[in-house]
Amino acid sequence: MKSFEYIRPNSMGEAFQALGAYDNPFVLAGGTDLLVWMKRDVHVPECVVDLKGIPDLNSIRYEDGFRFGALTTVREVETSLLVREKIPTLCEAAGSLGSVQIRNRATIGGNLCNASPAADMAAILLALDAEVTVASPKGEKMVPLNEFFAGPQQTVLAKEEVLSEITIPTATEACKGVYLKHGPRKAMDIGTVNIAILLDADSESHCCNQIRISLGAVAPTPMRAGEAEALAQGKTLTPEVIREVAETAAGEANPISDFRASADYRRELIKGLVAKGISKILENGRT
Amino acid sequence: MEKKHQIHLIVNGELYDLLVRPNRTLADLIRNDIGLTGTKKGCDQGDCGACTVLANGKVVNSCLVLAVEMDGASVITIEGLQQGHDLHPVQEAFVEKGAIQCGFCTPGMIMTTKALLDENPCPSQADIKHYLEGNLCRCTGYVKIIDAVNKAADLLK
Repeated sequence: MKSFEYIRPNSMGEAFQALGAYDNPFVLAGGTDLLVWMKRDVHVPECVVDLKGIPDLNSIRYEDGFRFGALTTVREVETSLLVREKIPTLCEAAGSLGSVQIRNRATIGGNLCNASPAADMAAILLALDAEVTVASPKGEKMVPLNEFFAGPQQTVLAKEEVLSEITIPTATEACKGVYLKHGPRKAMDIGTVNIAILLDADSESHCCNQIRISLGAVAPTPMRAGEAEALAQGKTLTPEVIREVAETAAGEANPISDFRASADYRRELIKGLVAKGISKILENGRT
Repeated sequence: MEKKHQIHLIVNGELYDLLVRPNRTLADLIRNDIGLTGTKKGCDQGDCGACTVLANGKVVNSCLVLAVEMDGASVITIEGLQQGHDLHPVQEAFVEKGAIQCGFCTPGMIMTTKALLDENPCPSQADIKHYLEGNLCRCTGYVKIIDAVNKAADLLK
């Protein structure tokens, strides 16, 4: 790694000062993405600003919906009894990220700010209609997660802005969910295609009351399959309807061909996985 | 030239006072500045687990931790497990079950096993495989490693 200045502010104010004082600063949370980029010289920051000295950025609170501090580790989310009780799919998605060693350091905030289209926490949080709090010297503003990503590895954060909190409204709590991450390995991989589905359907009639479908690694950013969701809304989820929903979702995606898969194969995976995910939720009745 | 930082950390129960560059990883600090070479560098990017250590009770890839982040921390490496001449039960289990071929992945495997059994003294086979996902072995095919984890769980009861 090239050399850099290291600053560990004790407050958000000090963090903003540090970010403002350098041309090319980078925020450090868990380091499991940033340090890899730095070792490859993809990011060469003048200064690394370590947020871990700032109090109150690491907590899991539930008050009419979840509030996660941005520095909450992925492992903390994975093992939280409260999260498992309310949103088990969030635990499932968290548990699919990397390894225990990585999850002990990786943070939700960091996963979102690294902004890989394949980010595991992004896909599920997008389905959960999460919002993020962006803090800056000017104050705080809420940004819906579906407006947070600007492109691969790009967010809307300006230089002196810091993602401080992630909130999840309660609207999806009636849903059961599934997180399907497809790849050549069972672990330690970035998804070829990731699917997060939340579904509230009548257990007898399979009539869809509410559905959220989130797709990862198939577009410049993580995305929701809005047309597929609209198609399913209010319908009875027969195998034919499920197939149509899955095909619609595949049509909404904009995958690239890369070393993991061709764009065509990714579209096929979306069709298969969305159908599989919906069926699984209907069968199990629970995650 | 970037500013160096004075850090204090405990490694295997001993206090170290070191002046480090910001770009020094914990793995390099442990191996080169402290001289404990049991912790290995396999990939240097968090994929193989050979550099696994316990930092404040949690297993981490020391190649992805900056030394400066560990100011005030307590770290345990593979060298910290044995008591004098007595091997830690996890180490004993690995030896007994023939779970060591070249030995390069072994320190990382043992640290992860210890962390697993600290959290979950009676892991299922699925629990074991899931927990050890971040530790790669190119020699053994993992069967004897899993045998060793099971044996270690018995020994620790």
